Amino acid sequence: MSTNKITVIVDALTGIHVDNNDDMDSVATQLTRSTVPDAWAENVRLVAVKRDRAAFQLLYKHFTPLIRAFLLKSMGSGANRAEAEEITQEVLIKVWNKAASFNPAKASVNTWIFTIARNTRIDFIRRNDRNNREIDIEDIWHEAESPEPLVDMQQRRAEQVIKQAMATLPEEQVQVLYKAFMEGKSHNEVAEELGLPLGTVKSRIRLALNKMQILIDR
Amino acid sequence: MVSFHPDSKFLTDFAAGSLALSEAVCVAAHLEFCGKCRAHVQQLSDVAAQMMARLEPVVEDDDGFDSLMQRIDAAELAPQVSAPRVTRPALASSGIPYVVEKLAGGSLQALNWVKLGGSLRIAPMDVGCSRRQTAIYDIKAGRPMPEHEHRGEEITVLLKGSFSDADGKYVRGDFVVRHAGERHQPTATLDTDCICLVSLEQPVKPSSWWYRLMEPFVQYRLSGFNY
Repeated sequence: MSTNKITVIVDALTGIHVDNNDDMDSVATQLTRSTVPDAWAENVRLVAVKRDRAAFQLLYKHFTPLIRAFLLKSMGSGANRAEAEEITQEVLIKVWNKAASFNPAKASVNTWIFTIARNTRIDFIRRNDRNNREIDIEDIWHEAESPEPLVDMQQRRAEQVIKQAMATLPEEQVQVLYKAFMEGKSHNEVAEELGLPLGTVKSRIRLALNKMQILIDR
Repeated sequence: MVSFHPDSKFLTDFAAGSLALSEAVCVAAHLEFCGKCRAHVQQLSDVAAQMMARLEPVVEDDDGFDSLMQRIDAAELAPQVSAPRVTRPALASSGIPYVVEKLAGGSLQALNWVKLGGSLRIAPMDVGCSRRQTAIYDIKAGRPMPEHEHRGEEITVLLKGSFSDADGKYVRGDFVVRHAGERHQPTATLDTDCICLVSLEQPVKPSSWWYRLMEPFVQYRLSGFNY
């Protein structure tokens, strides 16, 4: 691949314009530092280190309406609005309590907060399942640390690719992704609801993931 | 080298949080062996997070921030720094995935093992999942399991040792799915015992947990299979 072509790709993916084509090292440095400017990371840091309420309030103002929207969609028909509100509060308390466990090298604040909301929702569904086995959901859906920093860097870059590709997906792919991720439905449930064969749901999701450069070979 | 991985359906449903607990435990066990799949799950979580960021925000008139802080203050004796980051190792010191040891109550030996003949023992594991059965299989080195046919989907994650069947050889960390109607006869390789995490789809017809788990073996005993 020619350096020119790389420059164009770097431009397109990151908005970082490279003047000096020869100096790809500096591009790499810029990429690591500024691929995904995460405006919220500093707020989480301040909450972790200084228990900074003003920083937390800004996070609260931005994320609460989104967490609430996600939970209202994904908690299923068994949940009423009061329950969704209670779980929303639980998520925010975890954001406060777990702020120090946020690793900005690994994920954006967006993704970190989504995983907390997702886990809290799984736990809520479990508690309603009349199952008496005590299970800590975080033992199963835990935030695995990647041992290689390089992988982390690639993940952060991938996040930007995802963001941009998402805007170009056809409606039928967005629909299945939305049902899977926002309504918390399994492939089987999505297939049943849309009256589609399971294979069709699977291939629509795979096509969408491929466009976002998430290349799961199976 | 791990070469059998969960497909996009398992990884997507895992990241979305819609996978049944028994299947999720299998995926989580595989993730402890496989950095590539861990990276995929992270990316899938990024996709979900981007979608959440684009939802129509649901704003409540009443700003509940003060009452939230009151709850936090009530729970905390004094303002303190939040808990430090705990980096969990990918595998427990025994080489078994952390998630499996934890759910087994600290060690696989803590489970209730049942011997089925000379070459196989099985320990059912309660992972709080009513839709599927979960168990640990321990196959003696070099010994075959009885050939069996699957009534429902079966997921096997190799935790230790290796086994082979007509389709190939499977090693530590491999995530193998067999569908209803497929027959196979896994054989543990010669050098070491083979320990697997197994998740079985619940049969449609109601039958007892234990009967279901042992059914293939019981049938073989009846038909003269010699352990």
